[in-house]
Amino acid sequence: MSDVLKELEGILNITLPGNLVEGVTKVEEGHFDVMCNVTNAFDLMKILREDAGIYHLSTISGVEKDDEFNVCYHIQHRIEDEFKEVPINLIITKIDKNKPKTPSMLEFFVAADYYEREIYDFYGIYFENHPFLQRLILPERWPDDVKPMRKEYGWEQIKEITMKITKEGLEEAK
Amino acid sequence: MTEQYRSRFRTLTDGSDAPPGADHHIFIGPQHPWAEEPAHFIIHLKGERVVEADIRIGFNLRGIEKAMENKTWRQNTMLIPRACGICSAVHQNVYVRLAEKLAGIEDQISERAKLIRMFSLEAERIHSHILWYGILAHDAGFDTMLHVTWRDREIILDIVEDFSGNRVNPALMLIGGVKRDIPKEKADRAQPMLDKLIKQVEYHKKVFTEEASIRNRLEDVGILTKEDAKKVTPNGPTGRGSGLPFDVRKATPYELYDKIDWNLVYYTEGDILATTMVRLDETLESLQMCKQILYQLESTQGELLARVKQKIPEGNYFARGEAPRGEDVHYGIANGTDTPERYKIRAPSLGNIDATLKRMDGEYVADMPVILRSYDPCFSCTNRVMVINEVTGEKMILNQDEFARKAIKAKKYNRPFF
Repeated sequence: MSDVLKELEGILNITLPGNLVEGVTKVEEGHFDVMCNVTNAFDLMKILREDAGIYHLSTISGVEKDDEFNVCYHIQHRIEDEFKEVPINLIITKIDKNKPKTPSMLEFFVAADYYEREIYDFYGIYFENHPFLQRLILPERWPDDVKPMRKEYGWEQIKEITMKITKEGLEEAK
Repeated sequence: MTEQYRSRFRTLTDGSDAPPGADHHIFIGPQHPWAEEPAHFIIHLKGERVVEADIRIGFNLRGIEKAMENKTWRQNTMLIPRACGICSAVHQNVYVRLAEKLAGIEDQISERAKLIRMFSLEAERIHSHILWYGILAHDAGFDTMLHVTWRDREIILDIVEDFSGNRVNPALMLIGGVKRDIPKEKADRAQPMLDKLIKQVEYHKKVFTEEASIRNRLEDVGILTKEDAKKVTPNGPTGRGSGLPFDVRKATPYELYDKIDWNLVYYTEGDILATTMVRLDETLESLQMCKQILYQLESTQGELLARVKQKIPEGNYFARGEAPRGEDVHYGIANGTDTPERYKIRAPSLGNIDATLKRMDGEYVADMPVILRSYDPCFSCTNRVMVINEVTGEKMILNQDEFARKAIKAKKYNRPFF
């Protein structure tokens, strides 16, 4: 692990404090996975944004594991002279399943807003310090407590809810 | 940072939480003649100038990510192109590359299969870009250009139809390779057609750069500087028009993009004309790449389809591809069975909304159609339908005119459709 961490530090031209990073794996040449605990995520992102100068956020994805949620920030380190990009997946682990919450990265990336609201819609993960954490993608009539991408809701259940809210909408239009 | 871009944190769309100074509020959409797809724009004006703009999306959720978790990796190969009406091939390409990487067979894909995939991707870029700048001309009030570009777009669509059987959804790719070969006689037939299209696109470029009536509508309109672009992170041609020289094909080369001869196009002006020029130059670049690919296909042999197991071992991978509109991002997690554990798709348009809202600040309301079009909101443009009689199983393939004529007759004379 330490070799991979050193290689990543060499590319980014910074030092990542050992207590913040949980693990680093190299997916392929110039493509890294960085694991990080939810309590250290904000500090680590601050170093990546402000010291390493990473400004491009491709997307954020939410992942449901057996006993925890993960949130994965896909960021790109850009080397402008060579037209190159180094993709880094910052995986935030150990998000409590009963009260899921994680720090919002809106302070560093403007684009994080839509992606974080999408995950809030689909998984119900609460992003702390987000100024406008509201519904983005789900329909207006969708029940608040149903988080459709969670494993507890099957495909059939989602279909039923969709049919139900569509019928309600049509009846109201009459 | 959030203070600067407060527009989208306005709570209501009825103007009650309006930005200071705004005296008029224009609501565009969700259903509006300007846009064929549902999106709701709120534009706050002071006089004729825009103070702030906001957007609401999410009127067309289809649940593809959830559906993919319930189908096998192989079935999903045919579901994934439906994520987008027009850039279907790039979604499929990113998906199959992701699945191949997770299955560990990315070395077994032959060069011939990769070249055919690349042809499909570049042909898609050509017809998507031609479509886009045609509609841009239409939005700028220059309808002649719309008809000229759409006439010429048929050339590349005919080639795609010849190679794949479909016009806009070629669906040539499978996990492990491609479905169909491009035989020599078809490639020979396509070469003169590509030559003809190159001439036509050069003419389009001449019109956009020299014709004052269209150029004046685009030049110095909706400027997005490089500093702003770094904050709002546009991708694809929107970013390359503002001096961010990043293209996934160059940044992290996939397929054979590092072995083929092509130039990265980028402009630094940041106005709508710059993004238009990026797309015009890219179309020419893609056309010469298509010619190269067809030339290389003659001398490259190899298996079209590698053997692949149904079950894909545990792992996660993040794959990207350059769609006509920008970077297309997929993230997949496999759990050792034949269905994905989680699959995430981020289509390029979502990443470009911020940049478009930023472009609008301080512009005239008359320039809104052009600026809103600049990030190329996605369209579905399939022109033909197949009608199947449920009772007899009879099939008819109709184009739009025939379909409309039949439908009108059926309605007028109260007759059955068939």
